[in-house]
Amino acid sequence: MTDTTPAQAPAAADECLLATKDVTVTYDLTHEALHKTSLSFESGQVTALIGPSGCGKSTFLRCLNLMNREIPKCSVGGQILYHGHDINTPKENLFELRKSIGMVFQQPTPFRKSIRENILFAPKKHGRVRSRSEEDELVETSLRQAALWDEVKDKLKQSAHALSGGQQQRLCIARTLAMKPDVVLYDEPCSALDPISTFAIEETIRSIAESGICEIIVTHNMEQATRVSDRTAFFYVGDMVETGATQQIFSDPHDQRLVDYLTGRFG
Amino acid sequence: MASQVHSLDDHVSRINRQDKVATGVLTVIVGLVMLLVVAIIAYILVRGGTRALTPGFLTNPSAAEEAPGIVYQLWDSFYMLIVTLVISVPISLGAAIFLVEYAPDNWVTSAAKTAIETLSSLPSIVVGMFGSLFFVVTLGWGISIIAGACALTMFNIPILVRTIQQALEDVPRSQRDAALAMGLTRWETTINVLLPAAMPAIVTGIVLSAGRVFGEAAALIFTSGSAPARLNFANPFNFVSPTCPFNIFRPACSLAVYIWRLTSEPTDGSVEIVWGTATVLLVCVLLFNLLARLLGKFLSRRLTAE
Ligand SMILES: Nc1ncnc2c1ncn2[C@@H]1O[C@H](COP(=O)(O)OP(=O)(O)OP(=O)(O)O)[C@@H](O)[C@H]1O
Ligand SMILES: [Mg+2]
Repeated sequence: MTDTTPAQAPAAADECLLATKDVTVTYDLTHEALHKTSLSFESGQVTALIGPSGCGKSTFLRCLNLMNREIPKCSVGGQILYHGHDINTPKENLFELRKSIGMVFQQPTPFRKSIRENILFAPKKHGRVRSRSEEDELVETSLRQAALWDEVKDKLKQSAHALSGGQQQRLCIARTLAMKPDVVLYDEPCSALDPISTFAIEETIRSIAESGICEIIVTHNMEQATRVSDRTAFFYVGDMVETGATQQIFSDPHDQRLVDYLTGRFG
Repeated sequence: MASQVHSLDDHVSRINRQDKVATGVLTVIVGLVMLLVVAIIAYILVRGGTRALTPGFLTNPSAAEEAPGIVYQLWDSFYMLIVTLVISVPISLGAAIFLVEYAPDNWVTSAAKTAIETLSSLPSIVVGMFGSLFFVVTLGWGISIIAGACALTMFNIPILVRTIQQALEDVPRSQRDAALAMGLTRWETTINVLLPAAMPAIVTGIVLSAGRVFGEAAALIFTSGSAPARLNFANPFNFVSPTCPFNIFRPACSLAVYIWRLTSEPTDGSVEIVWGTATVLLVCVLLFNLLARLLGKFLSRRLTAE
């Protein structure tokens, strides 16, 4: 292994921060969009999910914070182990769970509030900030983590909609970090952004991983996957076909479908 | 090859011609509609303008010996409108939120939607008949402002539910998902994210519906009555008195009903009063429309750029 990151063999699933065992997703009661998928994710690691359009990457990602529950007639089978216990049970408190598993979407989704209020909105709702100084501190640290502080520190009271697309997306990341999650999920976070904003967000993702957070990112951009991720998983029509250290997936792919995908023969 | 180029040219010029004709016809139609609207408004304003501006017309009671006015009708119209909105806005808001966010996709929900749509197409005179049987007689409220306001509410709810529903559905799904993904409950998401985002459209819808309610006559004739009121503004807080302006159990006569009454039972000089009243009514409704636009614009600017 010439990998720069420690690419140990994945630990046994129940020792990982987050792991799936034979997860299956069915839409509209009959359409199985994801077949038995088992993957595990560790703290401080960035995992990239790649594959052609419609292969179930977003579907898989939405399982991890139970967002699929918001879709009518969508059922998820199998086990999703978070801190070693199965969260794919009807009893699981999804509102608690989503406080520690954050998600960033493809389109920036700032609320119609000021920059400051966008960050403080959820922590306030969850009763996590009590004093003005706590609020200020949380706003500053989250914005710094998302590399946005210097650009917006003078206009925290302005509407978040006045920011550029890239800034809005970093605000969404900051907003997610303000919840102090230990897992952050990204669904094609840069697909609506220009190269410079993309670069800024990739930097952000790397530095967040260094602080020990587990990150999972869906991307269609192969260079992006090699730049940000430690591990990569390749999906193909509802199957997780191959997974391993990013370096190895891109330099020494085994499965023919992955080879074809990387050489651009489809997808 | 040459003939192909030729036929292409033909085709293009034919399309251009058709385009011109269609645009021309549509422009004429739109022009005619606008002309009609402007003509109606101008006619009413010209016929009634002088009367409406006569000193005392807006401040005197209709029984005044010289310079009879419409102050009681004006008051009753606004008061009834406010009572109607106080009842119908919360109900419609609740119904719309339920239908958009919570209602399961089953036959009960679709039956509820059909019922609301049916209500919106009921003739207002039928709503008035029902109101007079149910609110006035069965509930024993008598001919009163509250009975009128309830009839107007039945008339207003479908419009409001529809606009609020539309406003909520127009909020991008991603906003909702983002809030849910931060661990907020559906209720918190609706109240803190969806409603603020939809607020400009909701407010515009409410004010526009207010304009319609304000001019409604048929639903009120049998419910709040058409007898000219006698109000005593000097002592407004004796709520049980039939002359108390705030008493919701007294009969009332709105501007539109007053027009209907004076037209069906003309007296000396009533024609002038009718035109004056119509002018005032029209101006109020136009103001509601203007207000709806301004408020909507103002709110969306406030909310997007604090
Ligand atoms: N809400 C839904 N209802 C029904 N079917 C869905 C829904 N979302 C996704 N699917 C189906 O599930 C399959 C996988 O979709 P998914 O969105 O996970 O793909 P993806 O890998 O994220 O694709 P892309 O790269 O284009 O985002 C597709 O066949 C899609 O039609
Ligand atoms: Mg996707």
